[in-house]
Amino acid sequence: MALKGLDIFKLSPKTNCKECGCPTCMAFCMKVAQGALPIEKCPHMSAEALALLSEATAPPMKTVEIGAGDNAHKLGGETVLFRHEKTLVSRNLYGVTVSSDMDAAAADAKLADMAKVDYERIGERMHVEVLDVQYAGNGADAYVALVQKAAAANRALVLDCADVDVAKAALAVCKDAKPILNGANKDNYEAMSAAAKEAGVVLGVTGSSLEEMYDVIAKLEAAGNKNLVVDVTGADAKETFKNAVLLRRTALKDGDRTCGYPSIVNLAKVAAGDVHLQCALASVFTVKYGSIVIMESLSYAEALPLYGLRQNIFTDPQKPMKVAPGIYPMNGATPDDPCMMTVDFALTYFLVSGEIERSKVPINLIITDASGMSVLTAWAAGKFSSSTVKKGFEEMDIENKIHNRTLIIPGKVAVMKGEIAEKLPEWNVVVGTREAVEIVKFLKDGEHIKAAEAAAASKPKGEAKKAAEETKADAPLDFSKLVYPEIQVVPQEVTYKGYNPESKKFVTIGERIHCISPVIREAMATFNPEPILKRAAEQIAAGATYLDVNIGPAESNGPELMTWAVRLLQENFNNVPLALDTANKKAIEAGIAVYNRTNGKPIVNSADAGSRIDNINLAAANDAIVIALCSADGIAKDNDERMMHCHNMLDRGIALGMDADDLWFDPLFLVVKGMQEKQMDVLNAIKSFSDEGLKSTGGLSNNSNGAPKTVRPIMDATLVAMAMMQGLTSAIVNPCDRRLMETIKTCDIFKNNELYSDSYLDI
Amino acid sequence: MAFNPKMQAFSAHINAVTLGTGDKSIVLGGENVLPFYTFDAPMENKPQIGIEISDLGLENYQAPGFQSFYEGCATMADMAKKAETVEGASFLCLYFEGADPNGHNKSVEECVAQLKEVAAVATKPLVIMGCKNVEKDAALFAAMAEALQGRNALFLSAREEDYKSIGASVAMAYNQKVGAESAVDINLAKQLNVLIIQLGVPTGSVVMNVGSAAAGYGFEYVASTLDRVKAAALAQNDNMLQMPIITPISTETWGVKESIMPEADMPEWGSAEERGIEMEITTAAACLACGSDAVILAHPASVAAIAKMIDALV
Repeated sequence: MALKGLDIFKLSPKTNCKECGCPTCMAFCMKVAQGALPIEKCPHMSAEALALLSEATAPPMKTVEIGAGDNAHKLGGETVLFRHEKTLVSRNLYGVTVSSDMDAAAADAKLADMAKVDYERIGERMHVEVLDVQYAGNGADAYVALVQKAAAANRALVLDCADVDVAKAALAVCKDAKPILNGANKDNYEAMSAAAKEAGVVLGVTGSSLEEMYDVIAKLEAAGNKNLVVDVTGADAKETFKNAVLLRRTALKDGDRTCGYPSIVNLAKVAAGDVHLQCALASVFTVKYGSIVIMESLSYAEALPLYGLRQNIFTDPQKPMKVAPGIYPMNGATPDDPCMMTVDFALTYFLVSGEIERSKVPINLIITDASGMSVLTAWAAGKFSSSTVKKGFEEMDIENKIHNRTLIIPGKVAVMKGEIAEKLPEWNVVVGTREAVEIVKFLKDGEHIKAAEAAAASKPKGEAKKAAEETKADAPLDFSKLVYPEIQVVPQEVTYKGYNPESKKFVTIGERIHCISPVIREAMATFNPEPILKRAAEQIAAGATYLDVNIGPAESNGPELMTWAVRLLQENFNNVPLALDTANKKAIEAGIAVYNRTNGKPIVNSADAGSRIDNINLAAANDAIVIALCSADGIAKDNDERMMHCHNMLDRGIALGMDADDLWFDPLFLVVKGMQEKQMDVLNAIKSFSDEGLKSTGGLSNNSNGAPKTVRPIMDATLVAMAMMQGLTSAIVNPCDRRLMETIKTCDIFKNNELYSDSYLDI
Repeated sequence: MAFNPKMQAFSAHINAVTLGTGDKSIVLGGENVLPFYTFDAPMENKPQIGIEISDLGLENYQAPGFQSFYEGCATMADMAKKAETVEGASFLCLYFEGADPNGHNKSVEECVAQLKEVAAVATKPLVIMGCKNVEKDAALFAAMAEALQGRNALFLSAREEDYKSIGASVAMAYNQKVGAESAVDINLAKQLNVLIIQLGVPTGSVVMNVGSAAAGYGFEYVASTLDRVKAAALAQNDNMLQMPIITPISTETWGVKESIMPEADMPEWGSAEERGIEMEITTAAACLACGSDAVILAHPASVAAIAKMIDALV
């Protein structure tokens, strides 16, 4: 295993002398782990630490580059054996083979067949990436002629040739295409290695057994050639599988770097003449450790399932599979047919497009960029809103490409109907079904046509355009002139007891005022104070320090809504401190403008290291605390990445003049059902924050999502105890969960944050 | 330094579950290594292949290869006799999709009568696949488990919604085997096994179907679920995940676009039947490589290819 930043940190002098140019030893070690800085930059690292590190920081499996130009590919670089452990890095390549004993016509036919398979699937070009050129021992002329022909086919080449002189002749005509010279064995490896090095190409190692291959690799490495792949093809499929697995497993699990090279599997040799068997084996080697899988031929029948399989297997588990935004005409739709819109999460796309296909109704399916999230998640995160839809429509030029003006939106975001209708005044916006399975009936019954007619009829003529022009996104807002209902201060049964920001006690941020709750959503839509005050009172009574106020994307009236909510809560509850939670920046600014700081600064919820990093600027400009999510696009792969994001955001905050205590880092608590193996990573990240003196917070109860109601409080309470042990300073929680709150109070006793008394639970 | 790889046979085993009786009986599971890792330790029993036949005949299998293979078959029993001749298939999977109340809605009696005809001529172990409707499957399986007494058949499947009735009738009252079906989620798979065992079903009577998907259609979830189930069962000795895994392939693969798009609509793709076969082969091979102990296929050519592959690797 490669060394992690934290492992390097353990060997560092930990003096924070800054001579390397980094603010702390930790920051330096993180950069070394990322490969951004060489370890030698530190003048105080001990000699033995240096020796240990240069050996240990070498990756367990080399990344090898083959091919040139459009045909350049990376192989290897894997760090795990199974995709769920982290992610697989380099997808395997598929190849077909030609041999120098084929007659010219047969070779031409094969190349022509190979070229036929070329299509796109979810943004990825699918074609035969590799062409294997086999030397049949019939002289250099025949081979070079075939290699020239193969080079013209515009693929990455594998020269399968153990005859050094013939190989050199072949390299002379194709070395610029960066082929693999595959044929080094125990007898010829020195000469082959020299030829490969001279031509600047990757060398393929072969042998009659894995032991023999291993010896050749070791000798080549000793001679200074580590630009290798290993042709693990054995006498039969069984031996080939064994070689592929043992090579990969010994490299990654047992840390033997001599095995850390990509593999070539040649199925034309172990399943000759049987296309179905080759397809089956290609599938096996796609799953298990073939880097280049070579077959006798590859038609659409094999390509469609194999490339689909590969695309699935090599999907990063941390990053959702995305479909390219665009217009997808279904069932022969023309520009005169209605549009249906959904998000770019691949599973959503497959479900929706599948159902539309089953309905046989012509529909233009419009996929919008929602960062690969599902409909509701994207909506809640502000990635699927009337603004993103409008932007998408402009970028895709849909107004001109489609003549029909019916737009069906997902039923789950029916709330967006009005906003979309405002932003796209030409369109008749129709609310579709909540679930994909209902689409067939919906379309067949023509529900969308009836609804579109109704929408068109209800439109005030002529005014639509004007309304759209009025809502300019970037117009400056005068926060003092916002219009919202008068604030009613009513006597409350509970009093907020106050909060001292200097206190070391754990800070709970109550999460119950959230627009994903139908009651709160309704209350916010109608500016109805009662449900909001009720939930605030419950949370304050239960001991919440801060209250989170999530108003959703609130694109049309964010500033009014947030200002109203902030005043409503603070004026009724003794200036209770608040976390302002929305993707709408103007709303946060408006809320802070009326915010009373008696009980602590406002919290901006939240910034991340990706597209929402600007929220750090927003917090800095408004002297607010910011919750800084240690992720960019998707969940961080590991703690090195989490800490990199943490340091990026910390650097930015400090540069903007913020106090480090005002950045509360969120490791992103992950759900146990699905990401059980990542739980310790999250806890260890909290320890790293704490070791650097940083504050932390997060949506802790996410861990138990989907677990039975009886189990959730136990999981949440246990996790908060473990996390507080690691140094967690705050959490976004449901304060009405008594077991959780009692656990937090008890931990505060043990941590000596609160002086013990028999009645400590009641305080 | 010479090559000295560490071997990785586990002390934990996958449960061995026998289906059928007599010399045609088969054993699923029993291994203590990852799939096809015979270099670590021999695979106790090689993975098994079932051939699917439907109570609706070839209604959903229109390709010429199916038509010619089953030519002259008038009944499900005729098809079963023919299917038994397919080399490489060691069990029959009888799919009673016609019982679906939202489809043909065939009565339990009608289905049981059909089953009895098949059982009278079939010699290989039987796997019964229901119509997926919770109420109907419960009634259907109870009657069928009674009709198949002594045959040691496997019933697919018991799910979270109906495991109690199916577990009680199929496994406890009639001593048949029961398949625990969950939707591509290791936590759900374990939970269902826990519930079924708590119900009183003997561990050795449970097989898992942890879900499937055609290659290209979210197969990453299938692969990772299978990988993780095997890791938990073998490396962590989690005996609530040590049940052998059976994966129906044909019901997933013969409905996707790649398998059904007529050649006329997509001439460059070539023969639809050939595409369907390769989709079935690719998906089955990937499932077996990730941890399925048995797969269910429909096309005789797919059965032949996967059988060859298993023989080549074991």
